Amino acid sequence: MSSRGWSAGRRRAFALGLAPALVVLAVVTIAPAGYLLLTSLTPLNLTMPGTAWDFSGPHYNYVDLWDDDRFHQSAWIQVKLSAATVTLQLLVGLGVALLLNHGNWLRRFARTIFLVPMVLPPIAVGILWRVMYTVDISPLHRFMAWIGLPVPPLTTDPSLALWAIVIADTWEWFPFTMLLVLAALQMIPDAPVEAAKIDGANDLQMFRYVLLPYIAPTLLVAALFRLIDSVKAFPLIYVLTNGGPGDATTVTNYYAFVQAFNFSLWGYSSAVATLMVVAIFALSWIIDRLSGTGDARVD
Amino acid sequence: MHESTDLAALPRARQGWFARHRERIGDIGTALLLLAVVFPFLWLVQMSFRPNEDIFGYSIVFAPTFEHYRALWTGNFPGSFVNSVVVSLASTVLALLFGVPAAYTLARARFRRGRQIALWILATRMAPPIAFTIPFFLAYRYVGLLDTQIGLIIVYLTFNLALVIWMMQGFFEGVPTALEEAAWIDGCGVWEAFLRVSLPLSAPGLAATAVLCFILSWNDFFYALILTRTNASTAPVAIVNFIQYTGWEWGRIAAAATLVMLPVVVFSLLVRNYLVRGLTAGGTKE
Repeated sequence: MSSRGWSAGRRRAFALGLAPALVVLAVVTIAPAGYLLLTSLTPLNLTMPGTAWDFSGPHYNYVDLWDDDRFHQSAWIQVKLSAATVTLQLLVGLGVALLLNHGNWLRRFARTIFLVPMVLPPIAVGILWRVMYTVDISPLHRFMAWIGLPVPPLTTDPSLALWAIVIADTWEWFPFTMLLVLAALQMIPDAPVEAAKIDGANDLQMFRYVLLPYIAPTLLVAALFRLIDSVKAFPLIYVLTNGGPGDATTVTNYYAFVQAFNFSLWGYSSAVATLMVVAIFALSWIIDRLSGTGDARVD
Repeated sequence: MHESTDLAALPRARQGWFARHRERIGDIGTALLLLAVVFPFLWLVQMSFRPNEDIFGYSIVFAPTFEHYRALWTGNFPGSFVNSVVVSLASTVLALLFGVPAAYTLARARFRRGRQIALWILATRMAPPIAFTIPFFLAYRYVGLLDTQIGLIIVYLTFNLALVIWMMQGFFEGVPTALEEAAWIDGCGVWEAFLRVSLPLSAPGLAATAVLCFILSWNDFFYALILTRTNASTAPVAIVNFIQYTGWEWGRIAAAATLVMLPVVVFSLLVRNYLVRGLTAGGTKE
């Protein structure tokens, strides 16, 4: 019996551990993805029999999307929402991480407490911000009125509703960037920091020339992850604005949801979702290129 | 970074007002941020204890009442709460059962397809839920899994399984192989060595992974909203349902939201250090 036979047996044993998970993962991810793609090629409408596997015009949904102004508008709203939330979360997260990186008990305590918003159930986050945004009951609105700066209702104003979502989303997700940046800051070696101090660098110079080069890759990864997750924003929009007023906060994700579950246009909605998947995979690919996460994992 | 060479070593005169007070300014900033983060949360919790006559009151002193919690107890909410617990626990257990051996394999054995599998798992984490809900809804209509606990448990595997594989792989890579090799030489099979050596050594990681799976399932709103109606509706969906039926009854909504938040907050503060790793999974190189 050679060690080779033993090693082959070990490989078989390992394969036995991996196979069930891959089968399950394939069933719950690849099969639905294929089903989604097929549905997007049909005019499926659950209120109209016979539309289920009708492939007579596989490209119709995509042609319709090309001309659908509401779809284009939803994509534009998504771009605005994503740009605003990602930028704000990055700035706030970075600032807070720099503030809390080292220090006394108060800042260590804050580091723990700041985890809370991102683990709260999104529906609860939606409800607590709904309280904050409802003028006649909100302590914030009352406070602003009391100091003489009354704030108009945000969620019912078409030009402000998106900002209401942005504020709530930033509150919920700045801790993500904060955590990543804190982890990156702790990896910075002492030597360059000490050297910069001896050379008399001020806070700004220290940040710009010593810290930033170390944490820039982390910031990029945080930005891309949040960018991808910002496409999934649903509970906040559902609870705070329901996509409105008008279509002011109807992002693409929400548009797909409404098309399928309110209008029963399943084929059309599937086409929207398929495009979203393609867009998100393109972004994921960029993440993989930039961060080398895949490499680090397998090597 | 050490405090030993801090700016206090410099002559005071060379420092500006800001530099001299930076510690205090930082502390004040921290305190204000804490207020901004905690205030909306605590406001909702205190609302849930206010009597209806005074629900929007501002005085700090009030006679707390449990009337909203009692009202919840008599409605559909307890059933939904139980659904949430059952579905989250079952999905977590299943994901661990399938995912942990797979993670161990990916950490130890060299497969040619390893990189593709890692990418696949990352892609699963990235995919928008709407892309899964449409096919799952259509398929469940045919097989009768709509509005069932089993249906939700299966759907939650889409994100839980990927998460378990991703996180546990990292933890297993941190366990030295020498111990397992010793066990192999003593005649243990691969999986016997795994059960006796590697798994116990990664117990803290396993606990953190389980908690995170539970939280993700517990927090889900989108899948449950679409795939359940009354029988299997989870607590987050139950809140939305009674908003639709009875309008914005703030006291009751605040109480329900508090109950939904409670387990998550307690859990996450308990396993804080491990959790950080899972929440940022895929975002940091380890």
